[in-house]
Amino acid sequence: MYEFDWSSIPGALPFLWEGMKVSLEITACAVLFGIAWGTLLAMARLSSIKPLAWLAASYVNLFRAIPLVMVLLWFFLIVPQVLRGVFKLDAGTDVRLASALVGFALFEAAYYSEIIRAGIQSVPKGQISAASALGMSYAQAMRLVVLPQAFRNMVPLLLTQAIVLFQDTSLVYVSALADFFGAAYKVGDRDGRLVELLLFAGAVYFVICFAASQAVRRYQKKLNAHVAH
Amino acid sequence: MISIQNVSKHYGAFQVLTDCSTEVNKGEVIVVCGPSGSGKSTLIKCVNGLEPFQSGSITVDGISVGDPKTNLPKLRSRVGMVFQHFELFPHMSITDNLSIAQIKVLGRGKDEATDKGLKLLDRVGLKAHADKFPGQLSGGQQQRVAIARALAMDPICMLFDEPTSALDPEMINEVLDVMVELAQEGMTMMCVTHEMGFARKVANRIVFMDKGQIVEDDDKDSFFGNPRSERARQFLAKILTH
Amino acid sequence: MGYQWNWSIFGSTVPTGETTYLAWLLSGLQVTVELSLAAWLLALALGSLVGVLRTVPNKALSGLAAAYVEIFRNTPLLVQLFSWYFVLPEILPFGLGDAFKQQLAPLTQQFLAAMLCLAFFTSARVAEQVRAGIGALPRGQKAAGLALGFTLPQTYRHVLLPMAFRLIVPPLTSEFLNIFKNSAVCSTIGLLELAAQGRQLVDYTAQPYESFIAVTLFYLLINVIVMALMRIVEARTRVPGYLGGK
Repeated sequence: MYEFDWSSIPGALPFLWEGMKVSLEITACAVLFGIAWGTLLAMARLSSIKPLAWLAASYVNLFRAIPLVMVLLWFFLIVPQVLRGVFKLDAGTDVRLASALVGFALFEAAYYSEIIRAGIQSVPKGQISAASALGMSYAQAMRLVVLPQAFRNMVPLLLTQAIVLFQDTSLVYVSALADFFGAAYKVGDRDGRLVELLLFAGAVYFVICFAASQAVRRYQKKLNAHVAH
Repeated sequence: MISIQNVSKHYGAFQVLTDCSTEVNKGEVIVVCGPSGSGKSTLIKCVNGLEPFQSGSITVDGISVGDPKTNLPKLRSRVGMVFQHFELFPHMSITDNLSIAQIKVLGRGKDEATDKGLKLLDRVGLKAHADKFPGQLSGGQQQRVAIARALAMDPICMLFDEPTSALDPEMINEVLDVMVELAQEGMTMMCVTHEMGFARKVANRIVFMDKGQIVEDDDKDSFFGNPRSERARQFLAKILTH
Repeated sequence: MGYQWNWSIFGSTVPTGETTYLAWLLSGLQVTVELSLAAWLLALALGSLVGVLRTVPNKALSGLAAAYVEIFRNTPLLVQLFSWYFVLPEILPFGLGDAFKQQLAPLTQQFLAAMLCLAFFTSARVAEQVRAGIGALPRGQKAAGLALGFTLPQTYRHVLLPMAFRLIVPPLTSEFLNIFKNSAVCSTIGLLELAAQGRQLVDYTAQPYESFIAVTLFYLLINVIVMALMRIVEARTRVPGYLGGK
């Protein structure tokens, strides 16, 4: 029988916390940028300017067809070259975090844009007509009438996507960046306690994601109850 | 045929049925009516065990429905049921809707089951639609198929749970005609319905329910002629003004 | 940027001289496809079972199924993969783990762990879709099946599941696509699937763009083929007079 030995975890907690901060940083950045860029993409897809709609659709479909691992590999390849070219960084500068941030943000924007597009489409067309009848421009109608309603309906889906994203940040492992998972793996590898560290990491992810998804579920119920009345 | 004795049912603290008792003898047609939420649909679903009940007893052809040892699927295969929303199986053709339970439950051969189904389909006047799917028929047609589907099992009695209340007014009669014909042939029937014309024409007795209780259980002449309870009088007055 | 494009690398032979770089990529593609298809079949079977259990009128069974779904949905795919590959063989009792480590070829170990990981990970998502599909059916359908004398399993088999699966073809299509994309994660345990072969090519040829472009195109190709296949499935299972049917 395998003999568990959890003793390497307490001493490693500060290091693991540093990793968790990286995971959370990537998540927060990708969520904020992803929603902003995703909103623009969604509006472009729904726009009546055909080339713009087509470009946005191609962007979204391309990113949604490629594995996240491949996207990250692409960005670990391209971003350093671009940064070095633009900012004349020397070759030793560590730009892995920057690459991961850019990769995740652009990738998640494709997924967010689909959620947001559905949200915008769920707002009845009459709302735009009503706003126009009041003399609002299209942009005003979007910003003041449609988007606020759309976002209220979308909040649970956006949050659920953020939970998925948080789990996906572990994939920066492919660039040897020490996020929470990478940190746990390093400690386990160093101490020959990979089994314990992997189980610990899994448990931590589970507690965070389960709690978050339960909170989203409660919020969704409240929202539904609110709409029903 | 059907005997309901002191049946009570509650969901948590909410009492749905209180001490309900009535009988349906062989060849009788009983109409159950009452305002919505009076428990009449729940009561009829207790008869074939689709709804469990906490106390009292129901027997169908001498077999106890509430007894955990009773083979409910077997009992249900002998009791036909027609639902408010037809509940044909949308992914099967009309022919398959009519034959699937004969084959899978009664163990009949495919040809025998198909023949039987087509005969009954003809009887409800829909033979031309055998190869269509439920979604391609009108509500009234679907409900007639649903009646044929139940009859294909050679039931010893039939339960109707508001069979016309989901139908457009112009389709109600085609379904009621089938039900009247069935009653005149001597089928034992328990019908939850608001169709008082149907009740006057073929019912032996009327059971009037309110707030989970059976308030009146009388032959139709006394029920329509001189209802004993104030609640039944109000109910009848309301139905007439509709 | 001064990058030297060289598309001829795909035709050139690998250092061991036995084959070409293109053949490496193709063998990676083959592993990706085999792995994903095997895992998908397992995920469909497991997910259908768990999804059905979530809807049965038995608190213990539906609770167990719910716990299953939560566990596999709330831990990262990478953690699950490493657990199948590094953790499970260590803690399996009765010498099963040792048998896994010692008697199976390393390639088989990687493939098995990857397949089980993708299958269980995806099954939880399939289960949620199956449950949603069953939940979307009119409540009277189950009653109608039972009233005809079907047992509960027969009611699921003949009445509920055929319709539920038709309703969830679109979300299942996206899960099917996801399993191909997620299989790229399995390069992290050394399985030489498509993404891993792509990285290996970069290491050997120092021509990263050609290699990544080729791998990306292969993933796009898989995507197109799967979507076309599922569109056929959707058309074949369409019910006349219902939803998109006619």
